[in-house]
Amino acid sequence: MEPQQLFEGSSPEFDFLGEVKAGFPSPAESIREHLDLTSLLVRHRASTFFFRVDGVSMVEADMDEGDILIVDRALEPYNGCRAVCFLDGEFTVKTVEISENGAVLRPANPAYPPIPVGPENNFSVWGVVTWVIKKCTP
Amino acid sequence: MYALADCNNFFASCERVFRPELNGKPVIVLSNNDGCAVARSNEAKALGIPMGAPLFKIRDIVKANNVAVFSGNYALYGEMSARVQAVLREFSPSVEQYSIDEAFLDLTGIKADFDAYAKAISARCWRDTSIPVSVGIAPTKTLAKIASKLCKQYPKLKGGCYMHRPQDIEKVLRKFPVADVWGIGRRSVKKLDVMGVKTAWDYAQLPEETVRKLFALPGWRTRQELRGIPCIGLEDLPQDRQSICVSRSFAHEITQPAQLAEQVANFAEAVVEKLRKQGSLALEMVVFAFTNRFKENAPQAHEARVVVFPEGEADYRKLVPAAVRACQEIYRPGYGYKKAGVVVTKLMSAVSATGSLFADSEAAQRDARLSGAIESINRSFGPGAIRFGVQGSGEVYSTREHQSPHYTTRWEDIPTVKL
Repeated sequence: MEPQQLFEGSSPEFDFLGEVKAGFPSPAESIREHLDLTSLLVRHRASTFFFRVDGVSMVEADMDEGDILIVDRALEPYNGCRAVCFLDGEFTVKTVEISENGAVLRPANPAYPPIPVGPENNFSVWGVVTWVIKKCTP
Repeated sequence: MYALADCNNFFASCERVFRPELNGKPVIVLSNNDGCAVARSNEAKALGIPMGAPLFKIRDIVKANNVAVFSGNYALYGEMSARVQAVLREFSPSVEQYSIDEAFLDLTGIKADFDAYAKAISARCWRDTSIPVSVGIAPTKTLAKIASKLCKQYPKLKGGCYMHRPQDIEKVLRKFPVADVWGIGRRSVKKLDVMGVKTAWDYAQLPEETVRKLFALPGWRTRQELRGIPCIGLEDLPQDRQSICVSRSFAHEITQPAQLAEQVANFAEAVVEKLRKQGSLALEMVVFAFTNRFKENAPQAHEARVVVFPEGEADYRKLVPAAVRACQEIYRPGYGYKKAGVVVTKLMSAVSATGSLFADSEAAQRDARLSGAIESINRSFGPGAIRFGVQGSGEVYSTREHQSPHYTTRWEDIPTVKL
């Protein structure tokens, strides 16, 4: 697949090379490398989406209010994955336990009960959560 | 072999990506100023909402059936379109984006079970982007288009249809209205109707000389294509009057962004000139740039961008800057561009548009003079030396009461998930 600019604006880049103001030329001058955060966090550009967290049912899985989730639809849901699920008309994020009898959506907060999912539910896994972006400053 | 990938009810499908509860429910998307329904989900079509229906005329149906109504969200549609295109590129090295919701794939050299391949492309588009796509594969582009329409008619095909056996093609063409064939314009349909030519099959059976005489070379090409003889290649642009293209192969490869932008600006200007001459407004503009595909060891790029003008546009001041901006998005350093072009598609008559643009010919001339002046300044000082103040998105909004958030293009608009 060819690289594609799918997202507005430029991706964050970190230059490690300071400017050389004077003196003899730096041997690093011709080397232009940088770290692109997107290349780390987004494996499949076409299938990756971002969601913002609202609610506290996953606090023990380190998903707090205001965090940004990176969600990849290209990943096959696996037993124990954390995923954005669509359940009876609403999005939610839970740990998905897949068994022969169906699935259970398990919260990561003792105050919330697990949700069994059966054929009577309108349920689908929308996409697997691959990263959580957390802001550490106020 | 060619494939045509067509996104089903594209704008309505985009609105469902982050609103899965709307699957199975009627959805419509309105034109600018929330005027008319320009996209309808299958459920909305089934309710009898016609294409282009003014909202005030269908208010009762909308209310009674709880139809989800959206104002056009072109940032979302454009971004989703780029995602679908990126998926398609994994299935063929040469992809031609034909419009915001359609692309042709050249499958030359690909060995596969094409029926499975068509279904796989559709499934991958759905898995990755949540957009339903109908994929038709056939020996010619014209037949591939027909095959993709079959997918929409028959859900059993699971989004993919390979149409190649002569007896199958005949069966399909005998039922396929000639008016729906790619490249057959409205004027031709009138003539054909008088001649008793109703189906694609009837058209393919017309004697070669008759077709050449009545419909010239493009009409003859369509006839051959319907007979399974490829006449329209990937870079050839559609021959119907529903589009205008200006493109050129460069004598020397272009590597500088400013040079490429200058060429594209010139093409866009020529396109606008033709557009105005024939009194049309463009709903979409495609800007493309290709590297030299015959240069084997050079890095290859084959990119296109679509700009949508919801109200239709024929103004230099809108189209030229939008083309330059699209070109800047396409350009990648390190590639030698051999060909570029600008195409406007989905044309509509300026007379039928509200507030005719051509009513005031003095204003039109002023536009042209202004545009010329800007051009010469930019020639001297480099593209972008002088720019239009409105240069931005090529989209003009006023009313958009029902617009969904810019889910995929603005951080403050990304969807919220309740935990």
